[in-house]
Amino acid sequence: MLSDKAKSALAGAAAGVVNGFFGAGGGMVLVPLLIGWVKMDQRKAFASSVFIILPLCAVSAAVYLLRTEFDFLRALPYLIGGLAGGFIGGRIFGKVPTKLLHRIFGILLIIGGVRAIAS
Amino acid sequence: MKDWIIALLAGGVTGVLSAWGVGGGSLLILFMTGVQGMDQPLSQGINLLYFLPTSLTALVSHLKNRLIDIKLALCAVAAGAVTTALSSLLATGLDTQVVRKIFGAFVVIIGITELFRKCPETRRPDEGTQDTTRE
Repeated sequence: MLSDKAKSALAGAAAGVVNGFFGAGGGMVLVPLLIGWVKMDQRKAFASSVFIILPLCAVSAAVYLLRTEFDFLRALPYLIGGLAGGFIGGRIFGKVPTKLLHRIFGILLIIGGVRAIAS
Repeated sequence: MKDWIIALLAGGVTGVLSAWGVGGGSLLILFMTGVQGMDQPLSQGINLLYFLPTSLTALVSHLKNRLIDIKLALCAVAAGAVTTALSSLLATGLDTQVVRKIFGAFVVIIGITELFRKCPETRRPDEGTQDTTRE
């Protein structure tokens, strides 16, 4: 049997692969693993995943910035909008039913994903 | 100017979703590549960068509320930092169209799991990824 620390390390490694390769989605891999496999309490799993993903994003972002032609001017509005949206979202969290949102989100991902594959 | 405002709004909407734990990042990347015609590595790089300040604010309140299992999380960070560096090197070395197609397959899978996932109708403010400022 693996210890909790070893399981957590493997979960982090899996999240790292996804985070670096896709530039997104590390948390979507990490949170279910922390809850279902490491047996972390749900709230702790969400919070810990932010703690884990943040440095991973910093590492990946550094690699992307160094190895691609990064256009800061095109990035800027997304960064500003994201920051504002994250702040607003945090304030009104829990006041909106998320079930429908998850369904819409799923449909949009499938449409966008199929278009990306076909591109 | 119009493009700038659209980008601002797209970032804003996906930022709200991210704060609610609805993975806005992958949606933002699809928007940048599929609608705005930006290339895959630039879109991924922007998303990674935008997560840094956004999550930092959430992290502060999580730390204050002692919601983080530091020991276990550090194990995950140590292993994840290595794999994320390697996979970033791989993704930025491959043909961008290939990465885009693999990304497409990944989000289709995520999309299907989102369609069938069970989730509570409304979550209390103290249950989620953000705004855990109250005990």
